Amino acid sequence: MTAHKRILLAKMGLDCHDTGIITVASALRDAGYEVIYIGLHNQADQVVKVAIEEDVDAIGISFLSGQHMTQMRRLLERIRERGLSIPVFCGGVIPDDDAQALKLMGAAEVVLPGTLSPEVVRLVDGTINRMAA
Amino acid sequence: MSGQPTSSRAESARDHEEQIFETGAGLEIRDLYRPDDIPGFDAARDLGEPGAYPFTRGPYPGMYRERIWTRRFQVGFGSPRETNERIKYLHAHGANGFVITIDLPTSYGFDSDDPVSEGEVGVTGVPISTLEDMETLYDGFGPDSVSYALSIRPPVSSVTLAMLASVAQRRDVPFEKVIGTQQNDPFYQMSGGPLQTITQFFPLEGTLRLCIDNIEFISKNMPRLNWMVTNGYNLRETGVNAIQDGAFTLGHAFDIFRRARERGLDIDLFPRRASFFLSCSIDFFEEIAKFRAMRRLYAKTMREEFGAGNPECWRLRFSVQSAGNTLTRQQPEVNIIRASVEAMAAVFGGAQSIHLCSYDEAHGLPTEESSRIALRTQQVIAYESGITKTIDPLGGSYYVETLTNQMEQAIRDKLREIDERGGMIECIRAGWLESQINDERIRNQNDLDTQRRTLTGVNRFQIPPEQETPLKIHRIQAEQWGARRAEYLREYRASRDPGKWADAMARLEAGWKNGENMVPLLMDAVQNKVTMGECHEAMRNAQNWSFR
Repeated sequence: MTAHKRILLAKMGLDCHDTGIITVASALRDAGYEVIYIGLHNQADQVVKVAIEEDVDAIGISFLSGQHMTQMRRLLERIRERGLSIPVFCGGVIPDDDAQALKLMGAAEVVLPGTLSPEVVRLVDGTINRMAA
Repeated sequence: MSGQPTSSRAESARDHEEQIFETGAGLEIRDLYRPDDIPGFDAARDLGEPGAYPFTRGPYPGMYRERIWTRRFQVGFGSPRETNERIKYLHAHGANGFVITIDLPTSYGFDSDDPVSEGEVGVTGVPISTLEDMETLYDGFGPDSVSYALSIRPPVSSVTLAMLASVAQRRDVPFEKVIGTQQNDPFYQMSGGPLQTITQFFPLEGTLRLCIDNIEFISKNMPRLNWMVTNGYNLRETGVNAIQDGAFTLGHAFDIFRRARERGLDIDLFPRRASFFLSCSIDFFEEIAKFRAMRRLYAKTMREEFGAGNPECWRLRFSVQSAGNTLTRQQPEVNIIRASVEAMAAVFGGAQSIHLCSYDEAHGLPTEESSRIALRTQQVIAYESGITKTIDPLGGSYYVETLTNQMEQAIRDKLREIDERGGMIECIRAGWLESQINDERIRNQNDLDTQRRTLTGVNRFQIPPEQETPLKIHRIQAEQWGARRAEYLREYRASRDPGKWADAMARLEAGWKNGENMVPLLMDAVQNKVTMGECHEAMRNAQNWSFR
């Protein structure tokens, strides 16, 4: 069910820890996803613009320096303002309380350190299939 | 997988199911090492005495018998005032060396009130936007009495150096008495695959020019200030192996040395104040061998290839941080044990300074409690274990010497490959380093997914999430910190003389275009209340370059 699903991956803000997102990109590609990775230092507007242009099924953002609340709030606001219903995954070093808060804010899933590749794929597949159903 | 195999088969099957006999970097490990594994071993030539060429046994004669390694404290959060108060508290409790971590906006040369900085002010370190901020950090201390290691790279380190020099001037501290470290590594300071992040906000050639400007200024004026710490740590954290770690780190330092020599600096003087910041990972003997091999290879290269005649320029000194990327979010208490293993490897490897990651690393920024446990771990090793009481206790071990030889050869081979590609800076520019890093990242994840490598709590020996112990978390207040800093900077700018400010900005641009050493010009600028962000804007303008 995952063939040709498209996902946009990005880092936001000034954080430059990209091991997690590069690894997730590889796992999703291996699972048949078309991955569009736009690199570091993106702002919410850029992420939304590319998501629309590329007509993606999901967005994944990774954080490791404590900017997840500010950046996710801004991104989810932009997505709502544009009337889009693209699920946004968020991953990285995120305290448990913040992970709960991010889900309440509207993140589809929060993927935490130590999640193995098959589980990442299962979470993304599950959400996209649920939204399509 | 069923039935009853013979007992000997069962034993070998069980062993091989659980173990792969190779090091983290893939060197084969045999069942036993014997004298003939190190044929021609010559202790005088291959090891030498501690503190003497080729420094295999350690950079100093007495090592830990004379002085236990420095247990540096990392500080930096919120504002310069809060950070200074924390330093005063720690200083009163006996600490005199501090690693000052800088927040991300400052790390890229942005003021706290730049729109780019939103949500990041004071989070991962202290913001420094003005000379007054630097003076606040030094409140109560002279730059000749406490040692601050600023985790900062050019272009920003040129501005922080100018601020430090200005603080010294204002306090009547002669430059030659200033102590401390400007990390000043142009490439590896920012974590992750470095290429995009070092070129996003400032041109690469400009960054390199400032790196050499700093070395020139420091080596001519501040003989006690460390001018460059090659940051192998952040590089290793991307997932590269110990051999790549050694080669990419040394290759990068040698490339910078060549550039400094081209600037006319004396190879018998400037390398004395170079040092290294290295990771110590979990593969115990491989890390020990890596440190010993890097020390020997550095000594040989400095003496034989660079032609340095001053023994101080042959000596590789390094600080260590334990490997954050070996830690897990699951069962986080286990991370204390991982850090202990890594700290012991750093001690057997002869580190000058050690900082251990806190066990809550994969949950958030460290708390006071988790930082304290990291320090206590070092104290147990230093004062209870006894492993410090003789120098290089593993020297002469058939295995450790074999592995040291193998690591040295493997790092040397990799360095040759780097040289053939035009040196490390060219390897970074061409994206070759990035692809090396990415290959390793994917290999590492695959090793975990397939259980080729065990990560306790993640792919084996797991417990259900509800059995995990809840952790206290360091709360960040990015939005309040940002608002307070914006208010401060508005007042700072309102209080300055606009004419003097504009003249200083113009001198920065002109000086850049004339190829002058930028440090004295930046001193002039910050003393005329040009901010960190404005210094960078002027230098970008001088290069006709913009990212906005």
